[in-house]
Amino acid sequence: MKHAQIKKLTYVAAAGTLASVVLMSLALIFPSPLLLVFAMSLGQGIGILSLALYLLAIALDLNIGGALVDNVDEQLQAVREDQAHK
Amino acid sequence: MIHSFQDLLKIGALAGAAVSIAIIVWYLAKRPPLGRLAKMLLFLGLGVFPTGVALMGNIAGFEYTKTRQFCGSCHVMGPYVRDAGDASSKSLASAHSRNKWFGHDSCYTCHADYGMFGAVATKVTGLSHLYHYVTEYATTGPDGEGGRPLKLYKRQDMEKKKITEEQFTRHLNGICKQCHSTDDPIWIAAGAHEGALADLRTEKVACIDCHSDIHPTALHRRQKQARTEEGKP
Repeated sequence: MKHAQIKKLTYVAAAGTLASVVLMSLALIFPSPLLLVFAMSLGQGIGILSLALYLLAIALDLNIGGALVDNVDEQLQAVREDQAHK
Repeated sequence: MIHSFQDLLKIGALAGAAVSIAIIVWYLAKRPPLGRLAKMLLFLGLGVFPTGVALMGNIAGFEYTKTRQFCGSCHVMGPYVRDAGDASSKSLASAHSRNKWFGHDSCYTCHADYGMFGAVATKVTGLSHLYHYVTEYATTGPDGEGGRPLKLYKRQDMEKKKITEEQFTRHLNGICKQCHSTDDPIWIAAGAHEGALADLRTEKVACIDCHSDIHPTALHRRQKQARTEEGKP
């Protein structure tokens, strides 16, 4: 998973949350039966899905970060070994 | 203005929504790198605030669905809600709607299922009401003319033999007995209550058998009256 894909995932999560929050706010401002039902089901469903996507993006980002740190450690170890041989 | 707990929740939810929207719009417009600060802000904007909006919005929305105004938002409820809000009407609906404590929620107070999971059962039934409204009644006349006659869902259960007649009467009387105790001496002394006490307590008689003027302006009542005047059955 690349950083660009993680960013895309975050944008999708942000857009989904925006839609969800706007729907829930509309239901509070103009409370009609259909809008309330949509906000409480579809709106919250989109919101939960978006949060899950964002958490996934963070987890993947941390994973990539972790991999990079591991690589740095490996490279440092290799440099130290090289220096020891010399 | 804040008049109730519901208003307070609504304002809290809208404030949370405003903060959340501001964070998301900032992120989508600026597209900053996903550093620690951006991640924290996004966690607030995508997680914490929307969760608060959903929780407060759910409670505020649920409370709103109890109000007479909400029940009247479907046009077929017009005759019921107009009569309930008519201060000069002598119907049971109107008398109960003038009550200081629950008058604004009078539809819900008298029609909600009062069992252990009554609120949930009532809202699930409400969803089926919405479905039937959209599929059957949305294009009916101003007071629901042309649609199927409206019936209490418990009456429908009785007609479909899901519950017995006694269970139906027990349900109806239970609604009245939430406030009108059959142990109250003033209630016993009023009208014919004393004579019908045993039958009322054993659900052989329903309160509405005598107190039948509940929704006199309801469409089915008007149609029935018109048929009677025309001499039709």
